[in-house]
Amino acid sequence: MAERIIVDPITRIEGHLRIEVEVSGGKVVNAWSSGQMFRGIEVILQGRDPRDAHHFVQRSCGVCTYVHAIASVRAVDDAVKVKIPKNARLIRNLLLGAQYQHDHIVHFYHLHALDWVDVVSALKADPAKTAALADNVSNAPWGGTTYFKNVQQRLKTFVESGQLGPFANAYWGHPAYKLPPEANLMAAAHYIEALRLQAKAARMHAIFGGKNPHPQSLVVGGVTCAADLTAERIAEFLYITKETHDFVKNVYIPDLLAVASFYKDWGGIGRTTNFLAWGDFPLSEKEPESLFMPRGVIFKRNLEKPVMADPGKVTEHVARSWYEGTQARHPYQGETKPFQGDPKYDTDSKDGRYSWLKAPRYEGEPCEVGPLSHVLVGYAYGQKEWKQPVDHVLKTLNIPAEALFSTLGRTAARGIETLVIGEAMQGWVMELVENIKKGDTQTYEPYEMPDKAQGVGLNDVPRGALGHWIVIENKKIKNYQYVVPSTWNLAPRCAAGKMSPVEEALIGTPIADPKRPLEILRTVHSYDPCIACAVHVIDPDSNEVYKVRAA
Amino acid sequence: MPVVSDNPFDAENAPEILVLGIGSLLFSDDGFGIHVIRRLEAEYAFPDRVHVVDGGVLGVNLLGVISKPRHLIVVDAVRNRGKPGDLHRIDHEEIPSRIRAKNSLHQVDFLEALTLCQALDNVPRTVILGVEPQDVETLGLELSPPVAAQVEPMIRLVLAELERLGVSWTRKDSVPDVSCDPFAHR
Repeated sequence: MAERIIVDPITRIEGHLRIEVEVSGGKVVNAWSSGQMFRGIEVILQGRDPRDAHHFVQRSCGVCTYVHAIASVRAVDDAVKVKIPKNARLIRNLLLGAQYQHDHIVHFYHLHALDWVDVVSALKADPAKTAALADNVSNAPWGGTTYFKNVQQRLKTFVESGQLGPFANAYWGHPAYKLPPEANLMAAAHYIEALRLQAKAARMHAIFGGKNPHPQSLVVGGVTCAADLTAERIAEFLYITKETHDFVKNVYIPDLLAVASFYKDWGGIGRTTNFLAWGDFPLSEKEPESLFMPRGVIFKRNLEKPVMADPGKVTEHVARSWYEGTQARHPYQGETKPFQGDPKYDTDSKDGRYSWLKAPRYEGEPCEVGPLSHVLVGYAYGQKEWKQPVDHVLKTLNIPAEALFSTLGRTAARGIETLVIGEAMQGWVMELVENIKKGDTQTYEPYEMPDKAQGVGLNDVPRGALGHWIVIENKKIKNYQYVVPSTWNLAPRCAAGKMSPVEEALIGTPIADPKRPLEILRTVHSYDPCIACAVHVIDPDSNEVYKVRAA
Repeated sequence: MPVVSDNPFDAENAPEILVLGIGSLLFSDDGFGIHVIRRLEAEYAFPDRVHVVDGGVLGVNLLGVISKPRHLIVVDAVRNRGKPGDLHRIDHEEIPSRIRAKNSLHQVDFLEALTLCQALDNVPRTVILGVEPQDVETLGLELSPPVAAQVEPMIRLVLAELERLGVSWTRKDSVPDVSCDPFAHR
């Protein structure tokens, strides 16, 4: 007999996401993903100066300030046909790379790990055995019995004070947790170490980003941080880059592999079919040819035949979303007209509307975006920077490439790309140093604002493919649309009734206990959802906002 | 050499007192904290040990900023069963543990970052200065009238808070024309 479970809101994410699934025989048989807040920033932009767009879009999300700013600036770069100088390209790459380092570490340890790591079980661990385990699996600089005893004591204090804080509202003791207490304690210790590191990694953005913490240094035509191109600033950036990379290499990746080895069955859960990457990190003026993270689409899990991705083939569907009409449109022609009737949440009827997210499609197909797509496209093209670490993970875990299209693969891919990009960043810093040494200090290229133009900024950011499309008329913004990673991944169905990636991924997920659907959170969190609502008013009264309804 | 060591460059960026505005400029009264911060930055000069920061809605990403100072003054919209425009002052111990635990609607948020400071062994002495919002849902850059009327009183509250910590401030000589549109920067 089928049973419906609604998880609303999904916690540990930015924004308000509701997931509904139908369970039968202990497995998910149907799923609906719903964005519960209207994001209408496009409307605010109309009529404004295109050069200002990035100041607005970077406010649309607290996690993605830089990525929206860069996407917007690139869209206008494209519209005004300006070629940015080499220093600007390198600095933009370094800032985006820094975003990857920071976001992925935070995601793995602070937003996702608790789906796999049982903190309460860690209280039962033997600190000496934990120290031995940690010595064995990771190259972490901290460890030893005393260290793990201290961590355990600290966790105890958290738990006993009733102030679980970040550890509240989790399904401790759930049967789907598979790690032994010692592995849980090791991971919990690294959770705290990762907090320290993330606090530091956030500094990278402040160095070339101008005003901390909102980057102010981006402008159409380049960057404005010429004054920051001093030996001290660059050395500081390099120092933190290296420190972060060491953490990724010696702690994050070993932790990822250690945890994954207990959850290999998740290589068969959370599976999707098509993967899209716009690619990013241009290594020269030539795009997409020079992209360090390549552009491409993989259809039907066919790693033999990646194809070049064309932004002209994107449409956004609204047939099942709370927008007027049913016409799918390309973003240049896109409309953001919220549904005038009552936005009734309807997952029961065949054409019911149930989300504020639109449904982007590529050649009519739903495509997953994000780390898994980045890594798969690089792997499919056979680029060695991408292929080697993937092969290493497959070999270490002793799983076939087929297991990559999954929740396990998605989470592993996030770690892999953090490693690959962190490695490359150090080379880009040196390239910047060399270029400045040669006497090239140009960071900005002037341009004329045309009366009429249109442009697209294609990016691939930590959460995935991000496109901003701008139409300029009378030097003002006539239309502005963006298609963000979480819209690709968490959309509702499209006009053709095809499920979005997360909806597809949830099908077949085993559910041990419908009242504590931990398994659903694992797959949903593996997308690092971020649906940017940005309303975050402090509300002491909203004590119980976290509902799981088994109906 | 240990893999993770203290970055020698960190010290320069650690103020003793941090005034932090949080909120989203795009959702009417939710941007109150940022409006106040922008006025403070434009009109007042503070000694080096005080930093004034626009925290936006960075939530947990603010950890790096808030885990350093000894004192933290937060300006934000706060729902506290008052009427729109009411000012609230919530002192350190009064920040209820239940909000310091994760109970806000958006789980990855500023209060969670504050909780996480405990794990980093430095919880700044915190006071939250808030205004009761009227509207945090309408997409718009303007504050509602009762909330807009409290920007000036809130600035005085922040300054009083700083004086209590022994900070002397000065008004900048030439106060630039501060537009109500926070994005009107040229």
